[in-house]
Amino acid sequence: MQLSATSGLEKDILRSAGPDVTIFAGDFEALVRLYRPKVFRFALASLGDVDAAETVTQDCFLRAHQARETFRQDCGMHTWLMQITVNLIRDHIRNRRFQFWRRLNRTARGLDVAGRAIADRSRSPEMQALMNERVAAIWTAAERLPAKQRTVFLLRFVEDMDLLEIAAATGMKEGTVKSHLFRALRTVRERLGEKI
Amino acid sequence: MITHLSSEQVAEYIVGYPSPIVAEHLRDCPACRAEVVNFREALGDFRWAIRSWSEEQASEYQTNAAPVMPAPVPDPRWWTPSHQFAGALLVAAICIIASFVVPRHPEKVLSSDAVLLSQVDAQVSRTVPSSMEPLMKLVVQK
Repeated sequence: MQLSATSGLEKDILRSAGPDVTIFAGDFEALVRLYRPKVFRFALASLGDVDAAETVTQDCFLRAHQARETFRQDCGMHTWLMQITVNLIRDHIRNRRFQFWRRLNRTARGLDVAGRAIADRSRSPEMQALMNERVAAIWTAAERLPAKQRTVFLLRFVEDMDLLEIAAATGMKEGTVKSHLFRALRTVRERLGEKI
Repeated sequence: MITHLSSEQVAEYIVGYPSPIVAEHLRDCPACRAEVVNFREALGDFRWAIRSWSEEQASEYQTNAAPVMPAPVPDPRWWTPSHQFAGALLVAAICIIASFVVPRHPEKVLSSDAVLLSQVDAQVSRTVPSSMEPLMKLVVQK
C-alpha cells in the first residue's frame, strides 16, 4: 500500500514547478496523476460505488480542464478540485436511479470497507474484530448523515483537510463547517456507542 | 459527582479546537482521556480503511478497464514513393484500356451514323406506317 506516496510526489512537483497554475498550464497529465487518487477516494467514500466514483473523477478533471482559464490562485489546486468534486457528487446523489442502487448496496459496502481494515493490520484477532466493528459502525453512521454533514466529515477525516479548506471547497463559512462537523461527530460517536 | 465531557466537547477536541476547560479536564480525567483516544483511534482506522479500500478499488478498476489492443492506425505519410509508382502504373493501365475502347477510325463511325440518321428520317417522314403502305397504294390508284 502506498498511502503516503502521493504527498511526496505532490511536494516534488510543487517544488519543481512552482505555483499550481504553472503545472496546470504546463502539464495537465501531471496534475491528473497527482490529484486523481484523492478525487477518486473522496468520490468513492461519498458515493460508495466504484463506477459512480470513476465517473465523477473523470468529470471532475474534464471540468477542470475546460475551466482551467478561470482557475484563480485564491485557493489551492486540491481545494479547487474538491470544490468541483463536491458539486458533481451533489448532482449525482440527486439522481433517483443512483439513490435506488445506493439503498440496495448499503450493507454490502459497509462490510466491504470494514473488510479492508481487517486484512492489513497486525493485531490480535479480538482487536481486529473490534476494529472491524468500529470501522463498519463509522461507515454506516457516516452514510446516514445528512449530505452536508457527511461531506464535511469525509473531507476532514478521510481527506485531512482543515476547516478553511473545507469551507472553500464546500462554499460554506468556516463557522458553518465547524457546526456541521461537530454535529456529524456527535452522531457518529453516539452510533459507535460502547464500541469505543 | 464527576461531570465528564459532553459530546460537543469531545468533538471540539477531536476537531482540534479544544477550549482550555476541555484540555484541563482531559489532563485530570483518565476516563474521558481514554474515550477521546479511542474515538480518535477509531476515526484513524476508518480513514485507513477508506484509503486502503479506495486504492484497491482504483487498481481493480484499472485492471478491468485495461486497454484493448488499439486498431492499427493508418500511416499518415501514405504518399510514399511506392504509392507514387503504383499510381503511375494505374494511370498507364487506364490509358491502355481506353485506347482499346475508344474507336480508332472516327470517320467510319461518322458515316455509319449518317446512314442510321437517314434511315430514321425515312421512317419518320412516312405518312402512314409501312404495314399500311399497300393499302394506300390501292387508294391512290383508284
